[in-house]
Amino acid sequence: MNTAVQVTQIPVLLRGETKSVVAWIRQWDWSRVRAWVAVTVLGAALFGAAIGWWRAPLQAFYTAAKFPLVLLLTALGNAVLNAMLAPLLGVNMGLRQSLLAVLMSFTIAAAILGAFAPLQFFVAWNVPSFNLELRSAFLGYRFMQFATVSFIAFAGVMANVRLLPLLRAHAETDAAALRVLFAWLAGNLFLGSQICWVLRPFVGLPQAPVEFLGPGLFQGSFYEEVFQALRAVLLQQAEVGL
Amino acid sequence: MSDMNNTPPLPPQPSNSEPASTPTPPPAAPGAVPPLFGAPGTDPADRVPITNMFGASEALLRHPRRIWFQLTQSGQLHLTLALLGIALGCALVYGFVVGTFSGQDQLWAAPVKIAAGLLISGLICLPSLYIFSCLGGANTRLLEVCGLVAGLLALLAVLLIGFAPVAWIFSQSTESVAAMGALHLAFAAIATGFGLKFLALGFRELNARFSGGLRVWAAVFVLVLLQMTTALRPLIGTSDSFLPSEKKFFLAHWFDTLDKDSRTGNPR
Repeated sequence: MNTAVQVTQIPVLLRGETKSVVAWIRQWDWSRVRAWVAVTVLGAALFGAAIGWWRAPLQAFYTAAKFPLVLLLTALGNAVLNAMLAPLLGVNMGLRQSLLAVLMSFTIAAAILGAFAPLQFFVAWNVPSFNLELRSAFLGYRFMQFATVSFIAFAGVMANVRLLPLLRAHAETDAAALRVLFAWLAGNLFLGSQICWVLRPFVGLPQAPVEFLGPGLFQGSFYEEVFQALRAVLLQQAEVGL
Repeated sequence: MSDMNNTPPLPPQPSNSEPASTPTPPPAAPGAVPPLFGAPGTDPADRVPITNMFGASEALLRHPRRIWFQLTQSGQLHLTLALLGIALGCALVYGFVVGTFSGQDQLWAAPVKIAAGLLISGLICLPSLYIFSCLGGANTRLLEVCGLVAGLLALLAVLLIGFAPVAWIFSQSTESVAAMGALHLAFAAIATGFGLKFLALGFRELNARFSGGLRVWAAVFVLVLLQMTTALRPLIGTSDSFLPSEKKFFLAHWFDTLDKDSRTGNPR
C-alpha cells in the first residue's frame, strides 16, 4: 500500500480501532511510517505556523519548521529507552513496535493540532500584538497562551488515550499497560521540554529580532530555569516573611 | 445535479420470517439515544432526489432526513455545493437588510462581510469537527461532515431571511447601533441554535454519536461566529475603512459600543 493510501487511514487511528492498529504495529511498513511522519510534520508545522504568525510571518515560517522537529526528535531520542522500559514494566513490545506506538501517538496529536491550526490562526488574527503597556494587549496575550496550551493539552491527552488500548493489547495486565504509559509519558515530557528549550523561540519577544534559534542555544536547561524561577519566588516569599 | 438522482435501491426491509441465524442488533447502551425513525433512506420519502437549490432549502426546513440521506450517496458534492449556494445567497440578502440601517457603503459592505464571515467561520471550524467526530468513534467521511456543515450554514442563513423583514422594520425605526446589534444577535442566536440542532441530528442519523465532542465544537463555533462579527466590524454603523485596524475581543467591542451608544446616542 502506498503512502497516500496510508494517509487516508489516519481516521482509523483517531477512532482508536484497536484491532487494526495492533496489526499495523506488529509489522514495520515503510509506506505506513512515511505516512505517519508526513502527517506529524504537516499537522505540527501548520500549528507551529499559526503560533508564530502572531509574532511575524517570518517567525511563522521558523516555528513551522521547528515544531515538527520537537515531536520527531522526542520520539527518536526516547526510542531505545521506551523499548527497554516496555518489557521491564510488563508490556511485550520490541524496539520497532514501541517506536511505532510512540510515532502513532504523536501522529494523532499532530493530526489534532493540524485540525486546530485554523482556529489558532483565527486567535492570532484577533489578538492584539504583544504590548505590556496596553492592558487589552496583555489580556489578549494571556488568551492566546490559554488557547495554545488548551489545544496542545487536548491533543496530548487524546494521543495518550488512544495509546493505552494498544499497550493493553500487548500487556500482561492493565496495570502494566498503565505503568508503561506513564513511564513513556514521563520520558517524553522530560526530553520534549528540553528540546523545546533548545529550539526556542517559538513566538519570541516583541523587542527582540525574529530569529530561527536564540543566542543561548545550548546554554542552561529548561529544568535549571524552572529551578531558578522557583528559587526566586521562594526567596522573595522568605524576604517578605522576614 | 444528475448524480443526485442516482439513488440506490431500497435496502431490504426487516420481515417476521427471518431465519433464526440472523444476528440480532446489540442492546442499546444505557443512556444511548435511540435513532429517530430508522436510518435515513429506509423511508421512501427520504430518497426523493434533491435537484436544485430550492429543493434543498425546502428539504432543509421540511424534510432534513432527505439531506442526511443524500449526503451518504454519490452526488453528495453537488448537494453540498447547493447548500453552500443557499448559505451564500441568503447571507448576502440578509446582509443587505443589515446594511440598510446605515445605507451608503454599508449596502454592499455588510452583505459581503456577513456572507464571507459565515463561510470563513464554517471553514475554520470544519477540520476540528471532523477530528472531534473521528475521536468520538464516528465513522463519517470528510465529505459527509462538509455536507453537514454546509447544511448548518444554509439553515442558519435561510432562517435569517425569515427574520429579515422584522430586522428591516427595526432598522428603519431606531437610531441605536447597540439596539440593532442586540436584535441581530438574537436572530443569529435562534438561527444558529436550529442550525446546530440540524448538525447534531444529522450526525445521529448517520450513526455518529459524539455528544460531548459536539457540544465542545458547538461552543467553539459560536465563539468563532461572535468574534467574526468583531473582526469584520462594522457590520452595523459606519466606518472610514472596510476592515478595522484595531484588534479587539468581541466582549470588549460590545461594551465599547454600549458605552458609546449611551454617551452619544451613536447615530448611524
